[in-house]
Amino acid sequence: MESFREAVDVTLFWEYRSLLLSGLAFNFYAWIGALVLVHVMGFSVCMMRLSRYRPLRVAGTAYAELFRNCPEYILLTWVHFVLPLVLSALLQIKLNFPPFVSAVLALGLAYSGYMVETYRSGIQAVPKGHIEAGRALGMSSFDITFRIVLPQAIRGVLPEMLNQMVSLFKATTLVSLIAVPDLLYNVVIVTQEEMRPLPLYTWAAIVYCAIIFSASTLVRKLTERWRSRGWA
Amino acid sequence: MDVWNTIILKNLHLFGEGLWVTAQISVIGFTVACVLGMASCLVRLYVRPLRIPATVLIEFCRNTPIYVQLLWVNYVWPDLFGWPQSFFAAGWMALALQSSGYLAETFRSGIEGIARGQVEAAHSLGMSPVRTFRSVVLPQALLNMAPSIMNQFLVLVKSSTLVSIIAVPDLMYQAMRLTAIWFQPIEILSFTAFLYILIVFCLSHAFKVYADRLRERFGLVLP
Repeated sequence: MESFREAVDVTLFWEYRSLLLSGLAFNFYAWIGALVLVHVMGFSVCMMRLSRYRPLRVAGTAYAELFRNCPEYILLTWVHFVLPLVLSALLQIKLNFPPFVSAVLALGLAYSGYMVETYRSGIQAVPKGHIEAGRALGMSSFDITFRIVLPQAIRGVLPEMLNQMVSLFKATTLVSLIAVPDLLYNVVIVTQEEMRPLPLYTWAAIVYCAIIFSASTLVRKLTERWRSRGWA
Repeated sequence: MDVWNTIILKNLHLFGEGLWVTAQISVIGFTVACVLGMASCLVRLYVRPLRIPATVLIEFCRNTPIYVQLLWVNYVWPDLFGWPQSFFAAGWMALALQSSGYLAETFRSGIEGIARGQVEAAHSLGMSPVRTFRSVVLPQALLNMAPSIMNQFLVLVKSSTLVSIIAVPDLMYQAMRLTAIWFQPIEILSFTAFLYILIVFCLSHAFKVYADRLRERFGLVLP
């Protein structure tokens, strides 16, 4: 009972609120940075996968399979420790990634693999007749993609996309492993100073849980509304 | 190539040992996750007074990052519950905790997906609730859910890399240790990444083939 009271004691966690909050900001920065990369890579590789040229299709499929099957942690260490060395050797310059850059790169790559598939399933769900109708009206293929296919495709897979964004936020805790000072990293540092792991780790778990639970509940509510309007 | 010969080939047994620990922790974690997930799902669906605690538990497991749970189980549980006493146990428990939340939701959607009329038909034939669940609801639900359950296993294998942080000597741990000793991250980490990708890729394809065959064999009509 004593240790239970210690575990839910919030005073220590509250004492370090400014440090921990600045850590949480890093979670959000990493999230937003990775999100941009996820959508850029996800969309462009999806276009490769659906291309009419076989080499592009093969490359796109390989990209998606590679990053979907790779554990995030090893990707993170690989991008942080190996990629700079490889690039330095190739480009003949001394290159070093700051931890934050590696973190954004690794998370972005890891989740873009899933996003490729999400975009693909959305695009393939658009009825062929719509594309043919666009062509019959003399629309350019650029117009067909961006004004007919994509709006419908994204509307269809928006719930899935939002869920993946929430998972991406969950994965941002991993960035503390390469010393990006996010919330969890700061919690570990404070624990080493104060030697009181019980309240710190418990409240870190509660804070993350609260944020992610609210986000996923919001996604669910929005999704229900879209479904009732016949969108998704 | 020198590095390849001196480090990777000479230490292949370390990679093997790591892989064995990864396999053990994944299988134990997943088995526990299935049991916990099924239990919390059944409590949530059928035990009225405990519905809210079960829902809170499931949502907590699903919405907390695996890394946070790992540290939480490893550092807080021994003081709180007097268990786990080893890193290995903390590792599989954390993996199981995370997956149990997802599996509970999968099981629930599978069970709720069975047509109400079938349960009523079983009742009117005089089957007891347990019998109904065991021989009418569960087999169909499991068949429906097979792909998501197998997918969750792959997620767990991928998350199992994280147990290396709490010094469980899995594949990732061996790779990081060798990197620290030899300081040749290019070969060691690339080889490890390749191993993981290969394993997860093969498992996911094997599972897909297996799930499709199961569905074909039992002639499942998808809703």
